[in-house]
Amino acid sequence: MRPSFPSSFLLSLLSLLCFSPYTAIANASSPADSISNSRSDYHEQLILRPLPLSTLLASFNFRSNTSLSAFEAHNFRFFPRSLGQILEHAGTRELHLRFSLGRWDAESWGARPWNGAREGGTGVEMWAWLEADTDEEADRKWLTLTNALSGLFCASLNFIDSTRTTRPVMSFQPEGNHIDANATNMHLLYGVLPHEVVCTENLTPFLKLLPCKGKAGIASLLDGHKLFDSSWQTMAIDIRPVCPEDGECVLQIEQSIDMVLDIDRSKRPRDNPIPRPPPAHEMKCNTSKPYHAHDTCFPTDSAANQDWSLSQIFGKPIKGTCPLTDPTVSPVCIQVPGSRVVFASEGAIEKKNPDQTSRCFDFPAENEFEIFLPAPEAQDGSVVIEHVVKPETPLLYAERSFTGHGQERGGVQTILRNPSPNQEVEFIYMESLPWFMRIYLHTISARVDGQPGKADSLIQEVYYRPAVDRARGTQLEVRMTVPPASTVFLTYDFEKSILRYTEYPPDANRGFDVAAAVITILNKDKSGGNGRNSRFAAYNLRTTTLLCNLPTPDFSMPYNVIIFTSTAIALAFGGMFNILVRRFVAANEGPESGLKKGVNKLKAKVAGILKKGKKESAPAVAAEVEEKKTE
Amino acid sequence: MPRLLASALSLRRDPRLLKLPPYLSLLCIVVGVVWLFLLPLDDYSRRTYISENALLPGQVHTYFGGSDQNVFRAYKHETDELAGKGNIEVNDKLESIAKGLGLKVGRQNFTYSSAGNTHSGQNIYAILQAPRGDATEAIVLVAAWKNVKGELNRSGVPLVLTLARYFKRWSLWSKDIIFLFTPDSIAGPQAWVDAYHDAHDSSRVASLPLKSGALQGAIALDYTRETRFQSVHIVYDGVNGQLPNLDLINSVNHVAGGQMGMGVAIQEMWKHSNSYHDRLQTMLRGMLKQGLGLASGPHSSFIPYHVDAVTLQPFGEGWQDEMAIGRVIEGTFRSLNNLLEHLHQSFFFYLLMQRERFVSIGTYLPSAMLVAANFTIMAIALWVKSGQPDVQEIITEKTKTAEEAEKIVSPNPHVASERDLFLPLVLVAVCQFLGVVPLYLFNHLSESALIPAFVLFSVLSSILPFLLSNLLHTSTTSTTAQQYHLIRSFSLLLLGMFLSSLATLNFSLAFFVGLFSAPLTFVRPCPNSSTLKWLSMVVLYVLSPTTVVLVASMLPGLDEKVGCGLGEVLRQAAFAWNVTGTYTPVVVWCVWWPAWIVGVVSVLGRPGAGDKKVKKA
Repeated sequence: MRPSFPSSFLLSLLSLLCFSPYTAIANASSPADSISNSRSDYHEQLILRPLPLSTLLASFNFRSNTSLSAFEAHNFRFFPRSLGQILEHAGTRELHLRFSLGRWDAESWGARPWNGAREGGTGVEMWAWLEADTDEEADRKWLTLTNALSGLFCASLNFIDSTRTTRPVMSFQPEGNHIDANATNMHLLYGVLPHEVVCTENLTPFLKLLPCKGKAGIASLLDGHKLFDSSWQTMAIDIRPVCPEDGECVLQIEQSIDMVLDIDRSKRPRDNPIPRPPPAHEMKCNTSKPYHAHDTCFPTDSAANQDWSLSQIFGKPIKGTCPLTDPTVSPVCIQVPGSRVVFASEGAIEKKNPDQTSRCFDFPAENEFEIFLPAPEAQDGSVVIEHVVKPETPLLYAERSFTGHGQERGGVQTILRNPSPNQEVEFIYMESLPWFMRIYLHTISARVDGQPGKADSLIQEVYYRPAVDRARGTQLEVRMTVPPASTVFLTYDFEKSILRYTEYPPDANRGFDVAAAVITILNKDKSGGNGRNSRFAAYNLRTTTLLCNLPTPDFSMPYNVIIFTSTAIALAFGGMFNILVRRFVAANEGPESGLKKGVNKLKAKVAGILKKGKKESAPAVAAEVEEKKTE
Repeated sequence: MPRLLASALSLRRDPRLLKLPPYLSLLCIVVGVVWLFLLPLDDYSRRTYISENALLPGQVHTYFGGSDQNVFRAYKHETDELAGKGNIEVNDKLESIAKGLGLKVGRQNFTYSSAGNTHSGQNIYAILQAPRGDATEAIVLVAAWKNVKGELNRSGVPLVLTLARYFKRWSLWSKDIIFLFTPDSIAGPQAWVDAYHDAHDSSRVASLPLKSGALQGAIALDYTRETRFQSVHIVYDGVNGQLPNLDLINSVNHVAGGQMGMGVAIQEMWKHSNSYHDRLQTMLRGMLKQGLGLASGPHSSFIPYHVDAVTLQPFGEGWQDEMAIGRVIEGTFRSLNNLLEHLHQSFFFYLLMQRERFVSIGTYLPSAMLVAANFTIMAIALWVKSGQPDVQEIITEKTKTAEEAEKIVSPNPHVASERDLFLPLVLVAVCQFLGVVPLYLFNHLSESALIPAFVLFSVLSSILPFLLSNLLHTSTTSTTAQQYHLIRSFSLLLLGMFLSSLATLNFSLAFFVGLFSAPLTFVRPCPNSSTLKWLSMVVLYVLSPTTVVLVASMLPGLDEKVGCGLGEVLRQAAFAWNVTGTYTPVVVWCVWWPAWIVGVVSVLGRPGAGDKKVKKA
């Protein structure tokens, strides 16, 4: 490719055809490139944050931009073409897609990464703003979108049908800059698949969307074995139009993966992952116990921090940097207290953040990069030195569970705890329930722990869209507050419907997954910023999913019962019915039946003829009659 | 067919037909009992099999052992120090260990009162969140601080702690694992399970601060001994005779017996030669426990909530150590972890007669049903009889010639005479209602008042039939033979109905109550033969509910030399009613006892006295 080639259009076209990153570099450095270098078009960053209890949070973030005009001209550079075409075809203005597994342990790990904005409930969750004139058109486009994405990400997104789709009213706001954000032709649709198991087949297409795939840069660490062995992981794709105040609007795609790794577990060699008991001499024992002996060992806290390195945890070091990434953004950052020693591989430049809690590393593109974090030295005495950055307290803790038992009715209880000593939390609680959970809206109530009676004044606004059997699910959005330093129980009851027997899944006795509740915490500052957007979503969190047991027939029993009852009815009822409706009379009393009647008639006729006719021929005719009779 | 019908019709009017039901009833009872005794034979019982393929018991390697034994010894030292200390102190220690393992810990207070005693304590439980799971399902490992006999669970508690530490290392759990430590074996687990399902009375039992998903199974460990053992004893009886899914027992059996090579016993049959005798004994022991409906271990409280649970008790002198039972639990938990669906195969009704032989409900149910049906047959016969003018009575009572008697009877021998329903209905209803009195009394009195109350009640209940009988024969009201037939008919009808529906819920209880009340079918007013009358009275009083309760309390138990005594029986019954919700007292006092009272009343009856007066007037 010659840099002097004048046509920018052709260049872009060529760059589309050539997927090699090196071609793209040439393209990016080309002075003739109309998309220009003025703005970084792609950057990636890995943030590592050791958490308490010997765990490590790894946040991978990949962001690429493409100008809207280029996008509309089908001029895909960093933006994945496969996705771009789907978005265009389905008229999607903004798309958010989440694949999640496990649960975030807020008690030990504190606030969620990205304030919860880049995560979803267990399974697959997606929401999008579609451009459509009518609701029907939006539904049609949504169907197109889910089906196309289903193929792209190897997920059962096509199962997001009308019963699993809702149109949230309060919980979601567009993240991007839309010129006509509140226009009537923007439709928000939200769908969730709580039972979808996220696995390697979803990771591969995810990585394919990246400009460097999984070959170079931080993405080279991503590997299905490690990602899906983590205690919690979420893969997110956000596509939104961003309009900087100076310059052209761009379409931004942000892909992120957050995972919490158990350091013990990750350090186990891959060829021998079984946690066999360690040899006795390798055990860390509390030697101060009086009974301590060679065969008696009180283990010290497993929460103790361990040493680890990238290649121990991920099984390999980072293979250089992605050549396309913005060089001004450091590819790897680690958040540990400034006092802690971190070793990086040769050639890396360490940049400490002034706040002493994080440091970043730059390293040459062609080198392998490795970080080693030695175990903190054992401290004796009263001085406690923090080995990890103290996790930030989340704004709200939420836990949801079922109440009641049995297969007819049930209840849902959400425990919402506000840890802040002086600030109340205002949030929107959203549930999208399957249609077979018929909730009793009048039973929804809030109660403050330790106070008698209901505290329904905490519920400020309820948006409720009842379910229609087999057509749509329940949508419940509640705007409520939790007073400072208190725990609120939000409860409601529901009734379980009985499904048709064909509606049960093959594993009917497992129960039915109920999607996570989405909690969107609003900013306290009501006046600030440009309207509602700034007030919105200071923090997001999701509860765990639930398993709802519906009355399930014993699917083999109907077969037995049918056979048994059919036999019983055939024998008993049949015989009985026969006896009841039949009239018994003596054989000689009954009316004559068909053949006999005919024969008798014939006989009478013949007899009549005989009487009239000649008497000498009678014997022969009589013989004939006799013959007929025997017939 | 018509001929058959005609003969059937003629048979209907045959007076001999009414003589048949008592023999039919007797036949039912005899066949029912014989049926039960046939069950242990090879032809009538089946080998157990795993119905839920996902369980795959004994298919995984278990790795618990090695240096975990050192940890176990250390935890054992820790718990040994706690012996004899208070509940709270014990829980503080357990909490510090569980938190050190990185588990979430919750506590729960509970207070039950029964027979004037207060049973209170504090449960502590730790949740191991499935490393990759989503909190939708959970399995429970229970270690009560004291077992049902009040012995300290010396090895069980440290072993569960060691297992908790071991399980934490695995990432394969698809369900959360809850480690529950309760101060006792019945009240603590009951409080916890009730609260887990929000079925608790919040004034007595505290709510749980932490919860996980739907419970899929539970294993309780009752390991009091400190020496090596030979075999493992599976206790599986739930409250009210409910049983866990047989697949769970089979899984433990596979893992312990097949994989680990240790013996498995059930129903305290420490030695089992798989002979007819041993099988029958095992089955009868199982039936007795089922019939009593008492909680037999920490697992019992889980079963009413459709959570399959068993208790494991190591026993015998052998070479198996703590790690072996730990591996049995590990293997079983790995199996439960495999479950995609809740155990649902129709494997909840069975009688086990050896660890690998069982009879299913279809085979054994007819036995109790036949016994219950005998009452219904007799009730119907009595009803029919009550509708017919009593030929014999008229002939004998009236001093008329045989021809005259013939005249009275013959015009319409099969036209029903009018039934006088009021008195029989009232009597039976009153007797049924009176059953509430002992039920309330024995479940709400304090412990010291139980024995006096029982003695007083026994005396009253013995006198009551005489009072009622006299009441029926005062000058103004007198009872006819027809009314006696109706009284017995209603009473037997109710008994038959209750027992046949109970047979589907608690087979053994229905069977035993049916057997004890079998004489009620045959007793009748016998005004002419006083020997027959007194013989019936003796049989009835020997088989009265109060006598049976008294004698049962004197008899030696399954493994004890002497009976536990009346006071203990009554205290336990009250405890079972108040804490675990056992309904056996309801059956005894509100089903059996009223039927018995009516039975004695009808033996004492002097029918016809009224008839005479009416005719003379």
